[in-house]
Amino acid sequence: MLLKASQLTMAFGAFKAVDDASVAVNEGEVLGLIGPNGAGKSTFFNCLTGDLHPTSGTVHFEGRDVTRLTPEQRARLGIARTFQVPLTFESMSVLDNVMIGAFLRHHAAAAARDKALEVIGEVGLGGAAEASAKSLGTPGRKRLEIARALASEPKVLLLDEAMAGLTPAEIRAAIDLVRQIHRRGITLVIVEHIMEVIVSLADRVVVFHQGREIARGTPSEVTRNELVIEAYLGKRHAAKLSGGTT
Amino acid sequence: MMRRALPLLIGALALLYPLLVSGSAVYQRLGALVLLSAIGASAWNLIGGYAGQVSVGHAVFFGAGAYAALAGYAQFGMPPIAGAPIGVGVAILVAALIGVPTLRLSGHYFSMATIAVAELVRVLVTNWEWLGGAQGISGPAIPRTVLDLSFTSAVPYYYIFLAVLVSILFMTWRIEKSRMGFYLRAIKDSERAARSLGVAAGRYKLYAYMLSAGLTAVAGALYAIMFGFVDPESGCGILISVKMLIMAALGGAGLLFGPLVGALILVPLEEISNSLLGGKGAGLTFVVYGAIIVVIARFLPSGLLALFTGLRSPRKPSATEPSHAA
Repeated sequence: MLLKASQLTMAFGAFKAVDDASVAVNEGEVLGLIGPNGAGKSTFFNCLTGDLHPTSGTVHFEGRDVTRLTPEQRARLGIARTFQVPLTFESMSVLDNVMIGAFLRHHAAAAARDKALEVIGEVGLGGAAEASAKSLGTPGRKRLEIARALASEPKVLLLDEAMAGLTPAEIRAAIDLVRQIHRRGITLVIVEHIMEVIVSLADRVVVFHQGREIARGTPSEVTRNELVIEAYLGKRHAAKLSGGTT
Repeated sequence: MMRRALPLLIGALALLYPLLVSGSAVYQRLGALVLLSAIGASAWNLIGGYAGQVSVGHAVFFGAGAYAALAGYAQFGMPPIAGAPIGVGVAILVAALIGVPTLRLSGHYFSMATIAVAELVRVLVTNWEWLGGAQGISGPAIPRTVLDLSFTSAVPYYYIFLAVLVSILFMTWRIEKSRMGFYLRAIKDSERAARSLGVAAGRYKLYAYMLSAGLTAVAGALYAIMFGFVDPESGCGILISVKMLIMAALGGAGLLFGPLVGALILVPLEEISNSLLGGKGAGLTFVVYGAIIVVIARFLPSGLLALFTGLRSPRKPSATEPSHAA
């Protein structure tokens, strides 16, 4: 077990955005977190990365309790992430952005630059290394965030809606990139809205609804699960759908 | 050709300036004042420019340097320069004490907290008899030895300040190229993203703040040594903090030579307005600085130098986000 959340609850006042969720991520797998808007995926995700500290419950990484650790401490242990709305360093070049990630394991500027250039090539931003981060569009920024995270040489990479806002062609390219990262032995946790992405990438899926886990299994199992269909489409549509098929 | 010739030319000009204006004590003094202001603004630039934490309370550290230099003389008869290291130490310590709580605040909240602390310190100093209270303290009226660094000509000050400024700029340049420099810029752009990549943002901001405070104290001590006098207003007044900020922002906050360019423009301007208006101009200074802030925030959020660096090297694009200017 690489990363494990146990009985995690995140309450904002009386509202429980995440309610008693337990999810374990195995080394080498691709785990998908799905659910309709407001299901608590992002809150749960932020508890894993340290951006939020849960009200109760624990997070373990490689057997070590990291519940109270800051994002930067978790990054040092090997947890990297991207953001739903890309947070690129806007005043810097693409290369400098990625160097920030590379500096985590390479303290000398020359070594960090070499590592950054290597990663930039791998994610297909090679031609844009000297360009300003501001000059990139959404797909470029998402790629840059992935490059930056990879340069920190993580064991697990958490992608928060890395495909949101991309065209179908861009999504296919992004899926290829994620596969390529997975082949390098990096464990992946992906929060995603787009079913096609989950089905083609995830080994296992956990479905959230209203802060609670309602289903888990392989992508094909959960997409057939009645509770899941209900959560996405609402009770009436789900009934219509199942009435039509029987 | 130009790129090589220009720095050489500027360097030679800086070295020879007092000789070029040897006929005029006023211009020699002006040169020294520009350098002194550039030292303070360059020190501010580390935390305010590179790390984007806009302090409006650096007068505390300036005052620590200035008061340490003169209190050492007034109380113990030490040469003012001997008090300078004490002032630097006090400034770094105070920065650590202020920085731990205030650096957790972001954006304008940090700026407001630094103003509050600085004003508090000014009132404290005003009521502190040991530091001369509201009257302030003076340095040696007649130099006892050369160690008192009390000269009638501005030329020795010019060269002392030049040496200090070059050292600070060299250090800043080294930081800029190192991991710390990259981390500070990352924190300025997005602290959250920086932390997700392992940047201990709180620690780096505190380091930059302490370093900036120590160097600001050097500026304060040099000021006290040259002028031989400090009172709460000239040592810890809010105008001191505002001037550092404006000079850096006008030239280019977060750029190596930004504060120097700002000082080259603002100090002569200030001297001219002082000599034209005499004592009546005291209140007007605030108005002029306010106007300059408005102009920078509206038209030059990255400062004057960014206009040129943006054209010359596409690798360091001219940042146009207004967040760090005002």
